[in-house]
Amino acid sequence: MKQFDVIVVGSGATGGWACMALAEAGFKVALLEAGSRIDWRKEFHHDWPYEAPFRGSGKPGYLRKFFPGASEYNYKIMIDARENPYTTAPGEPFRWIRSRILGGRTLHWARASDRMSDFEFKAATRDGYGEDWPISYREIAPYYDRVERFIGVSAAPAGLPQFPDGSFLPPMPLNCAETIFQAAAKQIGIPATPRRLAQLTRPLHGRPSCHYCGNCVDGCDVGAMFNTVDSTLPPALKTGNVTLMCDSVVSHVLVNDEHRARGVRYVERYTGRSVEIGAKVVVLAGSSLENTRLMLNSEHGGLANSSGVLGQYLMDQIAGAGVTGYLPVLKGGPVRDDDGKADGLYIPNFVNIGGRTNSKNFIRGFAMSASGGCQRFPGYARAMPGFGSDFKRQVRNLYPSYARVWLSGGEMLARKENFVDLDPVVRDKWGVPALRIHCTHCDNDRKLYEGFFEHAKELFHAAHGEVLHAEPHLAIPGSMIHEVGTCRMGSDAKKSVLNSYCQTHDISNLFVFGGGCFVTTGDKHPTLTMLALAARGCDHLVESVRRGAI
Amino acid sequence: MTRRDAGRMILGAATVAGGSEFLAGATEQQKRPSENQFAPPAPDRFKNYQPQFFSAEEFHILDAFTDLLIPADETPGARDAHVAPFIDFVVNAAAEYEPGMQKKWRRAMAWLQTQNFGSLSKDRQLALMREMSQPEHDRQKKHPGFFAYRLIKEMTLHAFYTSREGLIGDLDYQGMAYLTHFPGCTHPEHHRV
Repeated sequence: MKQFDVIVVGSGATGGWACMALAEAGFKVALLEAGSRIDWRKEFHHDWPYEAPFRGSGKPGYLRKFFPGASEYNYKIMIDARENPYTTAPGEPFRWIRSRILGGRTLHWARASDRMSDFEFKAATRDGYGEDWPISYREIAPYYDRVERFIGVSAAPAGLPQFPDGSFLPPMPLNCAETIFQAAAKQIGIPATPRRLAQLTRPLHGRPSCHYCGNCVDGCDVGAMFNTVDSTLPPALKTGNVTLMCDSVVSHVLVNDEHRARGVRYVERYTGRSVEIGAKVVVLAGSSLENTRLMLNSEHGGLANSSGVLGQYLMDQIAGAGVTGYLPVLKGGPVRDDDGKADGLYIPNFVNIGGRTNSKNFIRGFAMSASGGCQRFPGYARAMPGFGSDFKRQVRNLYPSYARVWLSGGEMLARKENFVDLDPVVRDKWGVPALRIHCTHCDNDRKLYEGFFEHAKELFHAAHGEVLHAEPHLAIPGSMIHEVGTCRMGSDAKKSVLNSYCQTHDISNLFVFGGGCFVTTGDKHPTLTMLALAARGCDHLVESVRRGAI
Repeated sequence: MTRRDAGRMILGAATVAGGSEFLAGATEQQKRPSENQFAPPAPDRFKNYQPQFFSAEEFHILDAFTDLLIPADETPGARDAHVAPFIDFVVNAAAEYEPGMQKKWRRAMAWLQTQNFGSLSKDRQLALMREMSQPEHDRQKKHPGFFAYRLIKEMTLHAFYTSREGLIGDLDYQGMAYLTHFPGCTHPEHHRV
């Protein structure tokens, strides 16, 4: 059996970081990725809609059936549902958008990089619901700094305690619609700032600046957006300490008689052959739910599950389309390049942070986004009546004025009733039991969406916008692609799986990085916090090994 | 006005007589002096296209209907953008994973055939389309051809605005560029509401 110092399972945001940090610390690391390494520059190169045979939609039915959530441009970096099933209870749908590819979801993520605050880490102390995180903002702040300096975050300081500032590159300029929404937000007394993005506005660590092509979610063809392949993997490989193993589908974490992790078993993606490799430390970083699935499959009753909470407290931030329409002041104006950067005015949470901001209807917070202007497809045209030359002129007239306000993350309460377990029947292509997902919204989730919806309409009206469509319902769970929890951290080993270093309470040489450890969703985009926690966990791992504690 | 707007205007002005007067009077309302320089030519997929799914009569109807939905006028229309051939290509490809789509299109074309759409004069065709589209303007109203109208309209919008003729020729889309700086908003008046 091949031996390594550390095995890292998964090459997404935290797997890539762990591989880099541990290899640079001198450990021999095996990085296992279930998916393939694809020809990066060949796959991602500014495809115009009319260059794709089906204009982005794919062959009718194909993507919807087999690559849900993907487009004709990016389905090759998404997951094939035929090979990777999951199940849900009737009437309780859950969208689980995944990637199995070297780099994981960093290849097509939205890049939003926000720091969480003590309003989130210590929310239970404030309002009495649920559990606090076993970590405070002060403890995680140095790791946010370190991660931001490495990945590069373009942003403007906002000076808000609920939305802490960090080490930023210059922000991307706002387009006209966003500038108008910012003025409207100011008028109604809510904060608004350019969206914080892991996307470079000046070269950093050998990566070039963004060239504003707007194709980010199909993969960045120059690596200006943070992703494993262009950011963390090159320095990791440079150490000479990394063995990169793609197409290796990990099925089990192996434990020895003293109940310590001793390695993993994986299935070769194409041959189906089962292989075991050994290590002193095992780091799971294969996404929130894949990590949990692996732990549930590794031991009857779940690995490192003396608390019994493994799989419980599944959350996905609340999502919803909000309000779309147009801004009359921009109607008929010149066509400009409005979608060359990520959509972006960000309205950090401004409710339930004390005093007059506290809501009587719901606890916790939400963040909104607003944007508009010329987009690659004039989707609003579908909602416009009529046809002919007048119709064409109207579509053109509205083109620069299109606008929308949407929910960019509302806190979904952590509840035990939302959980994952293994499906007793369904298995994936490699024989690993499929995950069975149970997730519904609670009353507070719906009330919070209503709160957002009222504020979205208020902002739209303050910008003198005309509403074409308002969506009063929240999207089905999973839609935000911010699924977290099921392996939560805590200081009490009876109520949590991990400690604040993402190390399992039960097995000291088993670490679990990613969103699984989240105690609450908070109202921020989760990736930056996952990275900061992984960086902190890696420091602890290295230090523990050096002093012989692992 | 951004640097790029100005650049496009200057390029345009150079090609007309009395360019300096044109520039002196130019406002932001002056449009389309040049098209998106980053947009590649469209692949030549639909030249001499022979329909695979629709019968000759159905295809004739589809071509006429889509031409009236998005006519060529001061900008290109559905015919320039090969909308009917593209729809045929897509619906034909639906056989494998979404056969229900093919049934819907057959039903829509059959309904139009009962109205002899293909042999009506252009005015009569337009009159029928206005009737078919009434429920769009008034939700209380019903029309047996509304489903066919919406089916063809939605696919036509998709086909036209994703074509080079629609996206560049009609909308003048300026994105998908390679820029050193994002232009952003340069209007002081947008900083207040």
